[in-house]
This record gives sequence, C-alpha cells and structure tokens, in this order.
Amino acid sequence: MRSPNAPPDRRAPRPDRCYAARVEASGTNAVISTRELTKHYGGAVAALEGLTLDVRPGEIFGFLGPNGAGKSTMIRTLLGFLHPTSGSATVLGMDIVRESVAIRGLTGYLPGGVALYDSMTGEQVLEYFARLQGREAYRRDELVERLQMPQVDLRRRVRDYSRGMRQKIGVIQALQHDPELAILDEPTEGLDPLMQHAFYGILADLRAEGRTIFFSSHVLSEVERVCDRVGIIRHGRLMAVHEVRELLARRRRKVAIQWRGAAPDPDSLPGLEDVTVDGDRLFGTLSGDVAAFVRAVASPSLEDLTIEPASLEEAFLEYYADDAAISPPSDEAAVPAATQAEAGG
Amino acid sequence: MSGPLFSRTLAWQRTRWIIVSLAIFGWGVLIPVVYAAFSDTFRDLANSGVFPEELMNFGSGSLFSLPGAVTLGTQHPLAISMLAIFAVGATSTAIAGERQRGTLEVLLARPLGRRGVYVTVLVALLLVVLAVLAALLAGFIAGAAIQNVLDDLPLEQMPLVLLNGFLLWAAFATFGMAASVTFDRTGPAIGVSLAYLILNYFLEILGSLWRDVAWTQEYSLFHHFQPTEILAGDLDPTDLVILAIAAVVPIVYALIVFPRRDLAAPS
Repeated sequence: MRSPNAPPDRRAPRPDRCYAARVEASGTNAVISTRELTKHYGGAVAALEGLTLDVRPGEIFGFLGPNGAGKSTMIRTLLGFLHPTSGSATVLGMDIVRESVAIRGLTGYLPGGVALYDSMTGEQVLEYFARLQGREAYRRDELVERLQMPQVDLRRRVRDYSRGMRQKIGVIQALQHDPELAILDEPTEGLDPLMQHAFYGILADLRAEGRTIFFSSHVLSEVERVCDRVGIIRHGRLMAVHEVRELLARRRRKVAIQWRGAAPDPDSLPGLEDVTVDGDRLFGTLSGDVAAFVRAVASPSLEDLTIEPASLEEAFLEYYADDAAISPPSDEAAVPAATQAEAGG
Repeated sequence: MSGPLFSRTLAWQRTRWIIVSLAIFGWGVLIPVVYAAFSDTFRDLANSGVFPEELMNFGSGSLFSLPGAVTLGTQHPLAISMLAIFAVGATSTAIAGERQRGTLEVLLARPLGRRGVYVTVLVALLLVVLAVLAALLAGFIAGAAIQNVLDDLPLEQMPLVLLNGFLLWAAFATFGMAASVTFDRTGPAIGVSLAYLILNYFLEILGSLWRDVAWTQEYSLFHHFQPTEILAGDLDPTDLVILAIAAVVPIVYALIVFPRRDLAAPS
C-alpha cells in the first residue's frame, strides 16, 4: 500500500480516457445503454423483460426495486456474468457480450453481499484485486481514510471482520482504481449510519469528478439522498425512469397550521387538500407550489406552521397508487406506453 | 494468463504442497528400501506357490525388480491419495469453490476472461502436480542411492517416467477442472472427479487381480502409466497419446462450457 502520507494523486492524468470517444461513437451518449434487454432462465422464467434504459455520463443513477425484481440480474448481465436472451446493451460504448473484459477493465463493481477471501488480510485483498485490475489503486488511501479502516484492521484477516468491515473492503475494492463507471449492488448494506453518510460523500465527490455511478438499492431514502435519476424495476420490467428532483417536486406534503383566533377559510389556501380542522388547528395535504401556499397562509394570526417533507417512498406510492402497471409482468397490457417511452431516459 | 491469479493459486497450495511433497518423497525413499530388504523373500514366496501369482503383482507393479517396485510405489493407494489431493481435490474445488464462496464474482469483475482464469488456474495446479510427482521420483532415486541399488534404476529413463506420470495425473487434473467449471458447488465437483479416479483405479486393480477380466485394465488410465516398461526401455508411445487425449478432452470441454455458462448470483 502507498504511504498514508503520500499526496493524493486521484486527479492524476490517466491513460484510459478513450472510453469517452467510444461512448460518443455508440450514438447513445450514454454510459450504460440497454435496448430491449431480456434475460430468461431456462427459457421460461423471465428475470428481465425488454429493458430499455440509458444512464447518462456523470450521473448517479438509482436502480430501485424490491428483492427479486431483477436488479442484480441486470447488473450481472451488464458485466457479462449472465448472457442476455435477447436485446442488446453497451457499457462505456462497448458491447456487453463481445467486449465484456474491456468493460470490466474500466468498471468498478460491488456485488450484493460481497464475498472476500477469508484467509487474506484486508490489505492483501485490496492489493490482490488492484493487481488483477491492472490499474494503480489511485483512490485507496483516500477511501480507507474516509471509510475509517485503520491499518490495524487492514492487517487483520477477513475472516475476523464484521459484516460492515467486509462491506467497506467491498466498497474500497470497487472504487480504489478510480473507475469510469461504478456499478454498486446494494452498497450500503451492513454499513452503519455514520459510514453510510461517509459513503454518500464519496459518491458525491465521484459525481463531481465526472464519474458515473449505477447504484441498485431497495432503500428509497438513500436513493432520494444521492441519486440524480431513478429507475424502478419490478418483475424484471422497467416501470419508470424519473429525475429524483422531479419526483420530489410532485410529491405531497403534510401540513399542520395553528392560528391565534379563527382559522381562515381552507378554500383560500392554494394546493391544500384533505383538510381537517381541530379547533384552532388545521391539518391537510399540500401539493403544488409551496411558495404560493406560504404567501397565502402568512398572517399576523399565524402561530405555528409545520410542513413535513414527504419521503420519496410516499412520492412513489402516490405515483403508482392508481397505476395498473404495478401489476405482475404477466399482465403485459398493463405497462403503459408512456412509461416504456420514459424508460429510454 | 493472469500473473497475480497464478501467484495466488500457487500461494494457496503452498503449505499443502510442501507437506505432501515431503511425505511423498519419504514414500519414494521407502520403496527401494522395501525392495532391497524384501525382494528375495517375496520372490521365494511367489515361487513357493503359497500365494496366487496375481497377488504378487499389485496393479502393474511388483517387488521382484526395482522398476517393478517403482511402479508399485506409484500405483499404491498412499501415493495415489497424495497426488489426488492436488490432481482431484485442488482442481475440482478451484473454480467451484470460488463460485460457492461467492468470490468468483469479485474475481471476474476484473478484466479477466473466463478462459484466462481457467487456463491460469489449470497451469498453476498442473505445475503443483508435476512438482509432487517429481518429488516422488526423486524419492525413488534417493532411496535407490541409499540402498546402493542405483544401478538397477536406469536414470536416463526417469524423465520419460515423469512425462508418463504427469500425463496420467494431468488427465485427472483436467477432468477435475472440467467438473469445477461445471458445478456451482464443490460437493458435486469433488464427487464426480473422485468417482472418475476411483473407477479408473478399480478397473486397473480388478484386471490385475482377476485375470478373466484383465481386459478392464485397457479402459483404465492407470494402465497407460507403465514405469516398468519405460525403465526397461520399452515405452509404448500409444500410452502417451491415450493419456494426452484424456487430458486434452476435458480442457476443450471446459474452454467451451465455462465462458458460456450463466453465473447467477450465489445463493
């Protein structure tokens, strides 16, 4: 390992930036581009069904879905562990079937529930993977520091590690060579809240440096926190792709207002719905422009105002509440055309 | 070929490799000692007719000559068990073990083709098998020197014995690797590889002990490893060809099957 006192060289010029030209040449200008990607097991079980998706350069893309939805299958297909039944995909402008080895040379991958070599120390594991990667571990020292893996822990055998420590080593091995694209399958599993926070910071820095991150999760709150866009997968089908900002903007908020004296007529408050009045207190749900609502509610008699931010989860639940597309994949007609079109990114 | 993977594969075998090499060297030393001490007694026993002739020849070996004793030493269950630790145990668990532990996924996340991984691991393990076999033959030579019967052992033929023995064990090793790339768990991979070894051994021993079914020996790979004939200067090139084919066929199979397999998430 390099000395912890060595100056960070993660911004050093790198010899492998030609992928950008390949991405451009692929015609999609997407780091990950899938077209009708389908994976069936044993000819019958559909793990992925006609998945079309573009992940833009320099974004953090959240891939959301419940367990068994097809998130890991998608990732494993992109990396060449699984062979697509039909459809096509490129990663960094390279075909996932023909150029899988080259793709993996430029990609960092953290598998879900990462397994490591128990008989090796953390330090040996990282060094071994760096040598196999064939690229200098530009970011290792920085990641070790930010994820709080002291040297004494790195010199212990992996078999003695807790789940969280294994996950940290998993994260470091995936990112230490400063990959152009990081594919992370449930990366915060096993990390404590403090380390999750540190990890989100690392992702933000990677994005700031132009790296692309494809991030699978079933934890909506972390997707809300770190992702630029989010794709929802269910029963192997991509249900929708949205800007997180847009989703958050369309979500409803819970509002509680207290006045001194009589409450104003709720109809005069724009965007307020499901209103209930309890004495001098008013409860409701706000949708739409918050600024207009605050202007309308502002008065000398206003004593207290609480606007509770709805979680992304609520936004999704609302979004899909009346959407037949949430039904199982056998109901093919239920997938709305608009949703499929949006999935193209 | 991947240098780091090659080094790591050898490193993982290092301790076992050293222990087994020392043990098999000791076994090799013992064979000429037993030959020098008991060959006359065994010859008298054979001539007395007390024991059936078949029992005086175990497999293709015997204690009536040093080359026969060398063959006996290589075909003895003890020597076979030691060689099988690597040619069957290490090979059959090499890829299936990584798969079962889930580490194959992290390994293949690197810019390594599956064929490259297979070839690297196979070459490393074949090297280990070759070294263990060489330790056995070195033990024979050392034992013969200690017993002052080195003249009975044509040293110039020993490289051919090594080659013949290596091809035999390479055939088992490549079979083990083929099983390893086929299964997701080590249990079935070891089971199939061990069954293959035992079947071959059974056919060889059965044919040597029961003359009516001597034809079964032709179907055993062990029957094509004949140190006695080689040391007598009567190497049959057909034996080498048969063993080479038996070694190459599983390689071809693995090179086709492994890259085409779907590696689903470990359960």
